[in-house]
Amino acid sequence: MINELIIKTGKKTLGYYRGINDFRIYVKSIFTSFRSLKYMRFRSVYNIIINQTRFTGIDALAVVMTIALLLGGTVIIQALTSLPKFGVAGFLGNILVIIIARELGPLATALIVITRSGSAIATEISVQKWSREILSMELMGIDTKLYIVFPRIIASILSILSLIIIFDLVAFMGGYLISQTVVYIPLDTFAQSVMDAFTFKDILTALLKSILFGITIPLICCYYGFKPNSKFEIPIYVSKAVIRTLFVSIILNIAVSTLFYLL
Amino acid sequence: MGEILIDIKNVTYRPNNFTSLDNVSFSIARGENKVIFGPEGSGSSGLFDLLVKTGIEFEGDVFFKGSPVKEFDYISQFNYKKDVSYVHGDYGLISNMTVEQNIALPLEYHSSYSMNEIKKLVDRAIYDLNLDHCKKLRPFDLTRSEILKTAYARAIILDPDLLYIENAFEDHCPLNIKSLMDSIRERSERQDKSTIIISFYPQNYIDLSDSYIMFFNGRIVFQGNRNEFLNSDNPYLVQYRTNSIQGPMAIL
Repeated sequence: MINELIIKTGKKTLGYYRGINDFRIYVKSIFTSFRSLKYMRFRSVYNIIINQTRFTGIDALAVVMTIALLLGGTVIIQALTSLPKFGVAGFLGNILVIIIARELGPLATALIVITRSGSAIATEISVQKWSREILSMELMGIDTKLYIVFPRIIASILSILSLIIIFDLVAFMGGYLISQTVVYIPLDTFAQSVMDAFTFKDILTALLKSILFGITIPLICCYYGFKPNSKFEIPIYVSKAVIRTLFVSIILNIAVSTLFYLL
Repeated sequence: MGEILIDIKNVTYRPNNFTSLDNVSFSIARGENKVIFGPEGSGSSGLFDLLVKTGIEFEGDVFFKGSPVKEFDYISQFNYKKDVSYVHGDYGLISNMTVEQNIALPLEYHSSYSMNEIKKLVDRAIYDLNLDHCKKLRPFDLTRSEILKTAYARAIILDPDLLYIENAFEDHCPLNIKSLMDSIRERSERQDKSTIIISFYPQNYIDLSDSYIMFFNGRIVFQGNRNEFLNSDNPYLVQYRTNSIQGPMAIL
């Protein structure tokens, strides 16, 4: 019984170690591929960046704005009704900036991007690999790690940064309007308390998170996209891509938040 | 024939402990057109790994324009692939790109041509191969011959020194791919360009090829020019030509 448990634990640990090592090799290969950056013409990836930015950023606007509106409304109503009970109504702006701008905005945006674009990236690459499109690119002398991953990282950073800004604006403004149906607070009072609470650190936190999410989401999703060796493995790896990117993003979110609270 | 483009010397290649190529030696000169054939599993996939894929472990030496392929660094491997183009039976067109985008891709990635020059080159290739009517379509909307012609146009758009064609024309209507065969024939007459055609039907390329190589079990069992291919009494060749199960090759 104990032996079985030890063997199982050992196998799991070995599996995790191999997985992490494999991912390390993949990341190293991405860095190695930057050597061919100077030989690659930017125009060949320009369309990929545009298409990915459109899909990840512009096409996701409606979803992001709706969720921002709903979440912003909920947080503002809760804050406006609960804070006075504890005698801390004066911290309204601080609470909202911390919850919406620092935490909710980046994380909710990342979750939307993972479920929409992350799954799409993993599926697209898996199918391209299965249909030998990636092999044919390699045989054309195209550095696929650079050609496929690099534009998606650029597009993802641009999209996530823009979406976080839009999320925050909609969550504050739209949320305020929704909250007026439940509790009244003058617009100038609300705006002033939020503006006063905003610091450079909050902007830096959101910026760092958007860059980190912009790198990790396509990086992990592309990694799992390159994995399948047969058609039936495609859904398995797409599912892994989404779950593990979600997991890593939440950990990153906590890590960055902790870092900035400590500073 | 000009300089030696590819020189393969005593190469043994064992992927996954299976001997795919066994002490193989041959060379391809600039301007030479070679047809390589043999029964299924005779070694052509090993040759693909060796000449097209690169970056593999093997015994022996392969030289490209006099430089050992084994010593190619990261960048040289990509540059080598600009000079050695490949058309295979699965074609591998990029599914989210149109015909003209697929053909333009190697030029956009590798060349220093302006976008106008690239457009002219692509339009020319499209015209030569009768692809005008479908240049805005994606692979999903193309017929098999249009897909093949697009893959071929993409392979030759950089004007590579060596074109490696692997089982690409099997099961195609000769009429539909006539413009493509004309283009290959025109290319085969050039003294500065070489072609390797891998096929189960070597007799189809009599008018294109200068020399023939037959593989069996990873070894070369026949090597000769067009006349020798047609008239040799090599038992392996005779068995292959007559499509017989009687002979030195045990066919499973």
